[in-house]
Amino acid sequence: MTSNKWCGNLIGLCFLAAVLPSTTYGEATPAGKQCFESRKDMSQVQQKAIHPGEPNVKCSPTTGAVLWWGDPFDGTIPMGDMPVEADYSHEEAVVRPREPQIDRNKLLTICSMACHNGQYVPYPKDKLPRPLRMHNDIVPDAMKLKHGKGAIWCLDCHHAAERTKLIDHFGNPISFNEPQKLCGKCHGQVYRRWREGIHGKRIGMWKVGAKKRWWVCTECHNPHDVEHGEQQSGFAQLDPEPAPMLPKGMKNADHERLHEHTHYSGH
Amino acid sequence: MEKNSRENNTADIASRRDFLRKAGTYTAASLTGTAMLLSPKPSKATANVSWAEHFQKHYRLMTEEEKAEAIERLEKRYSEEFGKKVSVDGSTAIDGVLFGYALNIQKCIGCRRCVKACVAENNQSRGKEQEIEWIRVLRLEKGNFSEEDRDKGGYPDDYGIQVGGNAYKPAGVVLEGQHYYEPDKVPEKDAFYLPMQCMQCEKPPCVKVCPVRTTYRDPDGIVVIDYNWCIGCRMCIGACPYWARRFNWGEPDLPKEDMNPVTHYLGNRPRMKGVVEKCTFCIQRTRKGRWTACVEVCPVGARKMGNLLDPDSDVRKVLATKKVFRLRADLNTYPKFFYFMD
Repeated sequence: MTSNKWCGNLIGLCFLAAVLPSTTYGEATPAGKQCFESRKDMSQVQQKAIHPGEPNVKCSPTTGAVLWWGDPFDGTIPMGDMPVEADYSHEEAVVRPREPQIDRNKLLTICSMACHNGQYVPYPKDKLPRPLRMHNDIVPDAMKLKHGKGAIWCLDCHHAAERTKLIDHFGNPISFNEPQKLCGKCHGQVYRRWREGIHGKRIGMWKVGAKKRWWVCTECHNPHDVEHGEQQSGFAQLDPEPAPMLPKGMKNADHERLHEHTHYSGH
Repeated sequence: MEKNSRENNTADIASRRDFLRKAGTYTAASLTGTAMLLSPKPSKATANVSWAEHFQKHYRLMTEEEKAEAIERLEKRYSEEFGKKVSVDGSTAIDGVLFGYALNIQKCIGCRRCVKACVAENNQSRGKEQEIEWIRVLRLEKGNFSEEDRDKGGYPDDYGIQVGGNAYKPAGVVLEGQHYYEPDKVPEKDAFYLPMQCMQCEKPPCVKVCPVRTTYRDPDGIVVIDYNWCIGCRMCIGACPYWARRFNWGEPDLPKEDMNPVTHYLGNRPRMKGVVEKCTFCIQRTRKGRWTACVEVCPVGARKMGNLLDPDSDVRKVLATKKVFRLRADLNTYPKFFYFMD
């Protein structure tokens, strides 16, 4: 039994060795045209035709962001049971699963199989913070967590034993597909607004009772950096789409940029 | 009796059609001649407009049959022009629905994705000659009141009272705020953003001034335009306090491959030179139950839209719980586009 496990470890390590040098966590696999839905590199979508001549998404040629969905429910799964009754209980609610996004290089699966299986690397005895000695390069935000102002750390959100899961207050695992159950532990007010449909994003049918694709927390927010420097807005800065065309006869838009020559001037 | 009258009616229509067809042939011939005289190279879109389309009634005054005919004509023409199956929808307003919109200016990051999503959905003209966008995002500075500004602020002496231009210079901008901001990243630290589009007013000034009544308010609250009836006088553009309307000064440039083939007669069907267009809350989507393209694309979820008559809709929940304002409420236009803050 034990030797079997060691065998698994070895195979896993080989996989790991094969994957690690070429990719890092969060990097997109290049194959055809890829766009991103909300967070660059963390909400990728592959452009394809859902019907002849009809794309699943239209993307911005300048920023690579998805601008338009042919089928808003493409690639979604049911949201699943939610503990509190809300809009999603009375209508068809779907989400785009986060697991394939987060684990698209199979690092999470391989790591949890090869090393973090409780044998090769034992589970932490408690969830007290400690300096990480390894893997600082694999999870880019791990060493500079900007969330909770030092009051939380990895194992407040990540399951200590099941590395492919998040954790609730009772120590039960939460799927990466349902981060709202985790974030709602602290952000109750936002969670309520999200359930009501007035925080966050939904696409699909506007009618109350009709099918909607709900966007979960980590599709828009980076849980490892929600502060984003001085902005404190919860969003990373994005590349804007290009400015509109100038009216004919106008050479540039300096008139609206220079205060000295507009209404603030005193001379 | 009824059958008789219907037969008579049909015969009557048939004879009238016959007459019109003959008359139309002459007219079409003369029009083609005139068009060829006036412009050396008539554009494809204009050349393809059939005489029947040219002489059709105002959309609101058409019978159901006439509407169906007009739609069929358009579908045929567009499908030929754009080389794909184009559908033109004629759905009417859904009973018990009044569309309303709410935008969170505290969330908006000014990325302009809504602007470009709108273009991808609504078949606006694009390209170097004429670029039309229905949404404009204004960048506003986070200002403060200083004593110096209080004493010295006001209108600039060197430009006269018109801010941003005068009779000798293209004005371009008559509003406060920046239209053409181009930072590397948004949101910028010292700015907030205010997207503007058609507010679908309950008392729309554009409808009041339209001399041919081609623009009107439909029962679901959407202000629509029958492009075929528009004479291009641009009175509505002058009347609109929200700068929501755009004019096709030239022949629209809509690449075949980018054209969205799912259209509505009063919405995103391809327009022609010389007509006014504007946001219709994506009528081709919303009347089929789907959210607008701008609601769907907003990466920060700042845009909410739904039925104002349904207390459980997103927009009603926003009105009930958030701090809400409308632009230029003093003008009594009663916009159904609300701005809000958390």
